[in-house]
Amino acid sequence: MKLAPLFGIEAVALLLIIAETYLFFNFVVPLGPIPHSLTEYTGLALLKLILILALVAVWFVVMVGLTRIYVKAKIRNAPRPSS
Amino acid sequence: MPSGLADVGLLSLSFVVPFMCVLLGLPPFLRLLTRMGRVSEDVHKTPPTKVPEPAGPILFVAALLGELVVAIGFRSWVPVAIMLGAGIAFIIGLADDLFVLGGKTKPLLLLVAGVAFAGVVAFRPDLYQPAIYFPIIGRAAPHFIIYTVLAVAAFPVVSNAFNMMDAFNGEISWFTLLTSLALLVGVSLHAAYASGFSLARVGATLPLVALAAGFLLFNRYPSRAFDGDSGSLMFGAMFAGLAITGGVEIAAIIAIVPAILNSFYTLSSVRGFVERRGMSTRPTYIGGDGLLYPSTEPNAPNTLIRLILLAGALSEKDLVKDVVYLTLVACILSVVTSIMTWVH
Repeated sequence: MKLAPLFGIEAVALLLIIAETYLFFNFVVPLGPIPHSLTEYTGLALLKLILILALVAVWFVVMVGLTRIYVKAKIRNAPRPSS
Repeated sequence: MPSGLADVGLLSLSFVVPFMCVLLGLPPFLRLLTRMGRVSEDVHKTPPTKVPEPAGPILFVAALLGELVVAIGFRSWVPVAIMLGAGIAFIIGLADDLFVLGGKTKPLLLLVAGVAFAGVVAFRPDLYQPAIYFPIIGRAAPHFIIYTVLAVAAFPVVSNAFNMMDAFNGEISWFTLLTSLALLVGVSLHAAYASGFSLARVGATLPLVALAAGFLLFNRYPSRAFDGDSGSLMFGAMFAGLAITGGVEIAAIIAIVPAILNSFYTLSSVRGFVERRGMSTRPTYIGGDGLLYPSTEPNAPNTLIRLILLAGALSEKDLVKDVVYLTLVACILSVVTSIMTWVH
């Protein structure tokens, strides 16, 4: 039972991984019309890069947030050796 | 391509050969390591005990023999690609065992393992399908370049994640055994439900299961052998290669979520690639009662182990049990994902 919060964090992590991988391969990779000029090509590549970084950032922020909440809740009553 | 009974025989051999190699080869190799003075302190025991390390070379030989059975028996290039990546990871790990490489050097060198693995595509374009299969939704649009870049990057990421799960007695062997079993289920379902999917890819997964099962007998609490970085990096590289060639990337990622979280916690809290030995504050410590406690220092790195211990001090044996429970749940979810992806 004491592992329940960690099971929760694990579940959120893997749901985000599935959802973000799906978004990456189905929306970010095929995004936009075929570029006809270098400007269009560069713009599209930059947009995709920003979207990829945004997906990574979302996972990072959620995981850091959940971990901080967990550590904050547990650290006050963290076990210490009796002697 | 063999069929029927021959298939069963080959699949059995691809498990039995590496398993027996570990079982029979490891005891004399451990005696040799002890005689050579290649022993490490088991720092989580009071007083610390000496354990022979690294067992990686015997694990590598066992993996090589198992994959050789599959390569010859099924006339497949899949085991060749797997062992090329795993072999390079093993050599990098062995160099780290013998000379200690830097925290940033290892991941960079491990990219070579990924490049070598992907290089086999030049000879065998059917080595992997450049598309990811999702549960229920189905296959995403194929994209060779992006998939290949991700496949190459998977080697350092997964190998390091396995390496970071190698801190306590039995942790890496339990972790590898459970995750490789989840992988085996995924690849088997892929083979059973997708047409034209070679059984060799199932066979290539069995040596990893055999290695982990055999090594567990020596590595479980109290450990009689440590695999060293040569073993753990090779386990990770084999897992990455098998997930890619087996077309079960999503299920594989889910199975190793505890390791991914562990790596993420460590990297985000120490802000970069730092060797265990290079951490300024330890995430855990041993109390006078022999139990493991979490560090309460504000700047202590957040490892998965520290998070588990924040809920209560544990003996090393019970701590590994908790890691096994977390891995088991991830592996069950991985199997459910495989069923949702392939069974229809």
